[in-house]
Amino acid sequence: MSLIAIVCFFVLAFLGMPLSFALGLASLIVLVLADFEMVVLAQRMMYAVDNFPLMAIPLFILAGEIMVKAEMMERLVSFSNSLVGRVHGGLAHVTILSGMILAAVSGAAVACASALGSALIPSLQKHYPKPYSSAVIAAAANLGPIIPPSNAMIVYALMAGSSVSVGALFIAGLIPGLILTLGFMAIASYISWRRGYVLSGDPVSFPNVWYHFKRAGLIISMPIVVVGGIVGGVFTATEGAAIAVLYASVIGFGVTRKITVADLPRVLFRSAVTASMVGALIAFAATITFVFTIDMVPLRLSQWIQTLTQDPMVFLVLVMLLLVLVGMVLESNAAYIMLVPIFAPIAVTYGLDPLWFGFLFMFNLVIGMMTPPVGVLFFVMSGVTGERIERIISESWGYVGFQFAVLVLCVLFPSLVTWLPRQMGF
Amino acid sequence: MISRLEQVTRGVDAMSYWAIAITMLGMSAIVIAQVITRYVFNSSIDSADELSRLFFVWVIFLSIPQGVKYAVHVGIDLLVTKCSDVRQAQLYRLTCALSIFLMLVVLYSGTLAVMDKWVELMPTLNMTAAVYYIPILICAVHSLLHLVLQWCNPALRKVSL
Repeated sequence: MSLIAIVCFFVLAFLGMPLSFALGLASLIVLVLADFEMVVLAQRMMYAVDNFPLMAIPLFILAGEIMVKAEMMERLVSFSNSLVGRVHGGLAHVTILSGMILAAVSGAAVACASALGSALIPSLQKHYPKPYSSAVIAAAANLGPIIPPSNAMIVYALMAGSSVSVGALFIAGLIPGLILTLGFMAIASYISWRRGYVLSGDPVSFPNVWYHFKRAGLIISMPIVVVGGIVGGVFTATEGAAIAVLYASVIGFGVTRKITVADLPRVLFRSAVTASMVGALIAFAATITFVFTIDMVPLRLSQWIQTLTQDPMVFLVLVMLLLVLVGMVLESNAAYIMLVPIFAPIAVTYGLDPLWFGFLFMFNLVIGMMTPPVGVLFFVMSGVTGERIERIISESWGYVGFQFAVLVLCVLFPSLVTWLPRQMGF
Repeated sequence: MISRLEQVTRGVDAMSYWAIAITMLGMSAIVIAQVITRYVFNSSIDSADELSRLFFVWVIFLSIPQGVKYAVHVGIDLLVTKCSDVRQAQLYRLTCALSIFLMLVVLYSGTLAVMDKWVELMPTLNMTAAVYYIPILICAVHSLLHLVLQWCNPALRKVSL
């Protein structure tokens, strides 16, 4: 049954059907073949969505939307510019640093790409070619799911069950996220120096940095309050997301004063519809994962893989290779929903640290958002800038290569991922 | 016939827009209120958890049809884009037709679930548990409207939210 479901799903998906509907139709075929009552479809859809932790996703998206609408990006960009604007690749650094701070509020790469694109593309295009500007924004936006909070981590933790917590995954992303940020900035410096891009920002001066810090201080402290509260166990991810919404609203209405009550319905609507993409995937995938459970797919697959290898590292490398391929063709949320319930339990049977495995799993698929041919960030940036996707891809290889290098580092040195969470008691 | 269907869909879209905004606001407000009462006043709202989840279910299922309209639901167009324009339009109509079939089954399944749950009450609210399944019915009907229109005219598929 499960094999039929998988084959149906891929046939429908490659015909261009939305992935969520392809999952729904594949599960429907299996329900009919297995003679289940049709009411199961609606029941599974509702139970999958009726989930308190999942509510964090639309709330984090809403916080990000309020930030953008309230023009907080302008303050973040000005602050970043006062710090790193004058060095080689200054504007690229500003983009990456702003992306890192935005990532610490929004948690979604696509939302970060749209926000950074709308705020920075006009300035970037004055100094850099359009394809390179788009590539820098895509790289900066891809920090979104790595640096906490992260919607990808929430979905992973939800699908993995009790083996790993959202808070632990959030903390696990900090060191790799920092390495990626610094690495991206180094790549931007090297490219700018080699291509002779002009220096654009003002020289660094303490009064200027202090002035912009005062303007952006409240925004910068938002992730500290929200993420600190979640990982400190003060509140859950959903409550943290609600606090992020409240915090962003207070700044938007009271400090920047760029958002009005009249803007709210549109902001709420956009956040809900954006979140519905993940919601639809989770709802329609619920029946397929139900079929997988009845068919004992994780157990059977585990037994089959163990006949191939008993070595946990070989298993890990095989999963990583599979995820690289999956990440190239499948949207990452669909991949979490379909693959995490299968592979997370198998990883435990191999004795792999669930936190380490979870982070590597997620990181691999995050890189997939920037790998051709289906890297969703390329499509977003192409939509924002009007640049051809092939030209954006050709400017992105340095950043993509560095992400794979950090992934390999995390495989070779697990403490890069697990040390900080363990120190914090996870 | 088609223009009548477009008119009806526009009306449903407008109602859905406000329903989504209100339910999203309700969900956010309840979670925020629960956090404030818990950490500031050291108490909690009895039905907050259930009510916020109910709002969330409504938000997601009301938003799915708008996602159909704005092409939010991602797919793989790796092979499709290699086809000629005529073949692409044919494939698009085929996937629309399959999605219409799916939504009809979802509507049937949702109706069964609503009937099944109608007499059951929610744990903390004096309300039928079927309210969790009603948005699935709305989702199916509203999605059907957009899918039928897109099947008739693929150019109706909007690409920006």
